Amino acid sequence: MVVRPLLARLAKKAPVPVFLIAGIGGDEIADRLRLDERLQVMDSPRPAMVLMIVGRLTSGLNGAALQVHDQMAEPRAVVRWSPSRLDASAAIFPHLVAAEAAAALGRAAVAARDDLLAGRLPSSPPLLPDVDPNPWRGVGPWGQGGAGMTGGVPYGRPLPERAKDRDGLQLDQLLVRVGPFMPALPEGLTLEVKLQGDVIQDVVVGENPFLEEAGSESRQEVSPALVAPADLAPFLAALRVPVAIAELELVRVRHHLRWLGHTLRIHGLTALGRRVLALSARVHLGGAGARGALATADVAELRRSLERNFTLAWVTRGIGRLSADQLAALDGGPVARAAGVERDERLADPAYLALGFEPVTRTRGDALARWRLRLHEAERSLRLAEIAGDGMTTVTGAVEGPTGPLGRGLAPSSRLLPLLPDLLTGLDWGDAVSTLLSLDLDLREAALTTPGSGAVPAWAW
Amino acid sequence: MEGGAAALTILVVALGAFLILRGAGDILNPPQSTAPSRVPFSGGLSPDTHAWNRYHVRYYAMALLFLAFDMEMVFMYPWAVVFVEEGLMALIEMLMFITILLFGILYTWREGAFRWS
Amino acid sequence: MVAEALSTAGLAIAVVAVLLGGTYIAAVLDVVFTRLTMRIAVRPLAAAALPLRRAAQLALQRRTLTERPDAGTWALAPAVLGALAAVSLAVVPLTGTVIAVKADTGIVVFAAAMALVVVAVYLQGWSPNSPLSLVAAYRFVAEGLSYEIPFAVVLIGTALPARSLALVPIVTSQEHLWNVVRQPLGLPIYLVTVLALGFWGPLSLPEGQDVAGGTSVELSGVPRLLWRVAQLNVLVAVSAMGAAVFLGGWLGPWLPGGVWMALKTLFLLALLVASRQYFARVRTESFVVVAWTILTPLALVDVFMAGIQAMVAAR
Repeated sequence: MVVRPLLARLAKKAPVPVFLIAGIGGDEIADRLRLDERLQVMDSPRPAMVLMIVGRLTSGLNGAALQVHDQMAEPRAVVRWSPSRLDASAAIFPHLVAAEAAAALGRAAVAARDDLLAGRLPSSPPLLPDVDPNPWRGVGPWGQGGAGMTGGVPYGRPLPERAKDRDGLQLDQLLVRVGPFMPALPEGLTLEVKLQGDVIQDVVVGENPFLEEAGSESRQEVSPALVAPADLAPFLAALRVPVAIAELELVRVRHHLRWLGHTLRIHGLTALGRRVLALSARVHLGGAGARGALATADVAELRRSLERNFTLAWVTRGIGRLSADQLAALDGGPVARAAGVERDERLADPAYLALGFEPVTRTRGDALARWRLRLHEAERSLRLAEIAGDGMTTVTGAVEGPTGPLGRGLAPSSRLLPLLPDLLTGLDWGDAVSTLLSLDLDLREAALTTPGSGAVPAWAW
Repeated sequence: MEGGAAALTILVVALGAFLILRGAGDILNPPQSTAPSRVPFSGGLSPDTHAWNRYHVRYYAMALLFLAFDMEMVFMYPWAVVFVEEGLMALIEMLMFITILLFGILYTWREGAFRWS
Repeated sequence: MVAEALSTAGLAIAVVAVLLGGTYIAAVLDVVFTRLTMRIAVRPLAAAALPLRRAAQLALQRRTLTERPDAGTWALAPAVLGALAAVSLAVVPLTGTVIAVKADTGIVVFAAAMALVVVAVYLQGWSPNSPLSLVAAYRFVAEGLSYEIPFAVVLIGTALPARSLALVPIVTSQEHLWNVVRQPLGLPIYLVTVLALGFWGPLSLPEGQDVAGGTSVELSGVPRLLWRVAQLNVLVAVSAMGAAVFLGGWLGPWLPGGVWMALKTLFLLALLVASRQYFARVRTESFVVVAWTILTPLALVDVFMAGIQAMVAAR
């Protein structure tokens, strides 16, 4: 046909629709890919043409990755980059295209798309077995195994069960398994949500897929620096040795800006979110004065324009407050500081106090307070980095990470995960997502410490 | 063509155009799928049940309020055309009608029909 | 007979041209505003080609099948949305004489067609039998029921000075003063409510990123393209109507009527498309409260002001 080559030529310079899967060691690269103008990161795998696997997939993520792959519309291709030679995805995705370096991922995706449309690369075939969950049995009129009213489960899946509701009605409860690759949620977070309407009745947090099975081969090879998110590496180092204050604060700024970029995107401000992500990429660790590096003035301008945005304030006001008990369980961190708890590990470090460090707090404790606090902290951190010069931290053992205190027991994300069921029950879907975003959860960080599993905290390895 | 027939014709023609384009898409790329590819997306896991359920439409009270105002709108359409000839009385009567309905909004608000979490 | 048939065909072509042209321009405007907000280079030629390239890419993709969808309504939903937009645009006078559908009750036809948008969007979300798109569909119904009343009441307000529900008299009644000036509440309320109609920007509840795309989570290929096109068709139709009833339609000095109409429509279209860049997506509950407790009373106040003005003018 003549239509296909014509359309293929027209489509060549369009941004490639991709679906991102970030495994261990891939979170920062995934954010860089969002900035690539040749790519368009989609919220759903259906319209995506290229599945980009960045980092190493753990065994807990493989099943979901295969599912997502099969859900993509054809023609489709898989492109992968992994920093670890233990990566098993070549065995799981037999047709994948491996990129040699992280920087080559964008080019590899574009090449894959062009080859797919031109017919040079065959579309990746379905990888899961074609087995119906409830096959047609053909006895009853709707494919059940038996006839009549209680003749068995009809073809396909059953219908949801009823349950009581606060209005005194008996209505259905829908169980939705929100999986590890849901774009609005932190990567790897699995929730089993019981919905009535769009109000959440019950939440069960699934297992952290970034936890390796104890004693497995990969566990021996894995170091905390590899499992931990990229933004946590200097803080983990600061637990043992003095680290340059400028480096710590700049990484903190980068983390907060990346978080903000993601949050703005989920709230509908996609272009603004991408601009903030671009700002985070400009954080220059070599020195705050380098050309093109992020300056305090940029963050100050961003803060002014966002605080003026009344819709953003309207949407996050009053959402996701934690109770006093829950705050006490947190032991500090931005979420607690947003509720007025003035705890910051940097106050224990004389080097910080000498620079004039003062913790930022807010009183409201809702999602609005949290994002304003993080933005304010980012601005302050950038200023600290500028005046710190060659200053080093003087206290080891505990450090204030971007999500909360590290080195004292559980990681901040590990403390937050058990609070989720109480926090999310009774909220409608949009508010629940806003709350989850405002908590800044990171399951890779939570994998460093897991309550009750007997896993040794990463800082004791 | 007279108004109603023209509008209907345009509706049908536009419907047909969209459906023809969709059919052309199916000819260009015939849809095919396996069972796992048909699973609805919710992050990578499979559901237990159909998504269709007796959904709790929490805003049912607001829907009743909408019905009331919808009827008011129906009466406002002809009123808009004739009320200048009818004079001040028509205006006052519509004002009374609307005030009663505004009290309806106030009542609904106080009853908490707009708060449903 | 032949002349009548030809003129009908010509008018139909005019409507299609305006609809498709407006849709394309809206897509390009979206690209331009997005790039401006991202603070990257706009590159006008590339931006102008981008919607066509994306459309070509979508056309080469297969469409998605889900487990046990309602195939009929799923196929119909974008078609119904597009058809409603076409009918709505058809009642708008493009110049003094070019009107595809001459109806004595043009405003009512428009409002009725736009009221059914709720049904089309709901069907798009409900049909694929997918939990996320179902939640999005019901969210939109809450939004949809709330925007209807201010939307229709504000349109009735513009009919008052003309004492007619037909669109040509409404436009000609603005010969001395546009409705945007003498009914200052009208256009702002109209713009907010039509954002809900086109589920765009701050009111994109059924398409939100928090539900992974909502009504379009299971869409790919040509159905996804048709859905986007239908959504932009709605934005074009409501911009044209807004230009006609608030900004004086084809009236204006020096330039021909059609050009004025195009400029005014493009102005409103640009406002609507740009709203996506600055305003965050609202919460369902908050929007419903605002629509019923602020927008509806303000719309009614607007109608009364218009009524009093019309009566005073008649004396």
